[in-house]
Amino acid sequence: MEFGNRTKTQAPLPQNASAEPSRAKLLQLTNVSKTFQSATQAVEALAPSNLEIEEGEFVVFFGPSGCGKSTLLDIIAGFETPTTGEVLFEGSPVTMPGSDRLMMFQEHTLFPWLNVVRNVMYGLKHKREFRFRLRKQRETARSWLKMIGLEEFEKSLVHELSGGMKQRVALARALAPDPKVLLVDEPFPALDALVRTKLYADLQDILVRTGKTIISVTHDPREAACLADRVLVFTPRPGRVQKEIRVDLPRPRDINDQEVGEYAGRIMEELENPPDEK
Amino acid sequence: MKSEQANKATMVVALFYVLIFALWQTLFSVGLIPEYLFPSPVQVTKRLWELGADGYLLPSVEATLVRMGKGFILAAAIGLSIGLVMGVSPITNLCFKSLFLGLQTLPTAAWVPISLLIYGLSERGIYFVIIMSSVPAMALATSSGILQIPPFYLRAAKTLGTPWYAMPARVILPAALPAIVTGLKLGWTLGWHGGVSAELIKSTIGLGFLLYMGRELNDAAQVMGIMVVTILFGLLLDRFFFGIIEQRIRIRWGLEKRGG
Repeated sequence: MEFGNRTKTQAPLPQNASAEPSRAKLLQLTNVSKTFQSATQAVEALAPSNLEIEEGEFVVFFGPSGCGKSTLLDIIAGFETPTTGEVLFEGSPVTMPGSDRLMMFQEHTLFPWLNVVRNVMYGLKHKREFRFRLRKQRETARSWLKMIGLEEFEKSLVHELSGGMKQRVALARALAPDPKVLLVDEPFPALDALVRTKLYADLQDILVRTGKTIISVTHDPREAACLADRVLVFTPRPGRVQKEIRVDLPRPRDINDQEVGEYAGRIMEELENPPDEK
Repeated sequence: MKSEQANKATMVVALFYVLIFALWQTLFSVGLIPEYLFPSPVQVTKRLWELGADGYLLPSVEATLVRMGKGFILAAAIGLSIGLVMGVSPITNLCFKSLFLGLQTLPTAAWVPISLLIYGLSERGIYFVIIMSSVPAMALATSSGILQIPPFYLRAAKTLGTPWYAMPARVILPAALPAIVTGLKLGWTLGWHGGVSAELIKSTIGLGFLLYMGRELNDAAQVMGIMVVTILFGLLLDRFFFGIIEQRIRIRWGLEKRGG
């Protein structure tokens, strides 16, 4: 139950935080929308949406393809600029990608010209406290490899790893620069069920240990129920947030758990029977 | 199983060359073509042996290889730099692409007359021909390699905080490396063509020079022998040096399976 409300991982409050009684707002999206303009037509990928994300939360964007969930993730990462609205990250507007809002992709995207440990070091190279300090970079990278249980593979080349190992190294590479928020874009669909279960466990473990804020995108309701504190259910045409569901289950959760299954059912129901169409 | 198949393939290829030499020898023995125009394999081998013994062959091979090596390094530096700029700047790409595609249609030997006009008979003219023959191919391969980098590498690099000025060295060139190496290999072949052509006229030592000397002396055996040597070295460097580097990079980049 301790993990359920996660008092342990709560961010320390600033001394003079009187306006915000509970947690600090990490991300504030106001009236954010995205319209893609093609030669023949304009497609509204995301209807104007508001969203606030607190420090230490695990938020899952759930919905079918074309519901704007990945677009919203791209906007938060800084890969896309919103057509309308404003994205504030720690109070300042998001203008470009950066390692404080680090994204993990569907493909592992490890760099094949670097070995495993150098891949994990990569994101540290551009951080002020690590710049030109190879030994410090290497030590930090090693500790992350140890955390995901691949410290013996630090000298391996990318093509020598299995699919699951690659994705775990990608996770270590994403966490090493200590991002304020980790953005996860359906990183596991290419993997088999056993490997996925292990990765869910890893991800939750890291969440509990580091108190990291994580936003993840998925179209798998069980995955959403297993990982999230809060599930945002998206519906397509135009993409919008239909409903918000809080998952009050203790961590770590097992994806095959019955209670997780019940939440998954509720999430699915929201998608199939949107309340305003009843 | 696998090695058995490989052995079989090697046997077939060996047999193929034996047949070619047999055909060559038969054509010679029938005597339709005069001997001074069409020497036998034995005569060619004998002539090569004499050239070696007289101290002509090895210094010439060495001179040609050193020239090609130096010219290649220069050309690669130029071709890679132009290709990088083309790869990251669409307008530069638009301009240079048509120019280089045009230059590529020019036979490499066509650079020899202009190099004679500019540099006379000096050694620098050979480098000029090597560079002009190979730079367009290498620049085009580099730029198209950069333009075909899977976008997820660039996205990953950006989200990992790579500043724009670090992108070429940290991501763009390494990600395009398989295409770049293929381009360098092609550039080497074209430079080799151009360089040997230039040697025919401009040099006092080298494989091209031995070819020319053979013609001057009406020595068909020498001409054919040096042609064989030129082919052998070209093949050796192309297949075993560049070919192996290319394959290793393609395997490491996940573009090819090991042994596949």
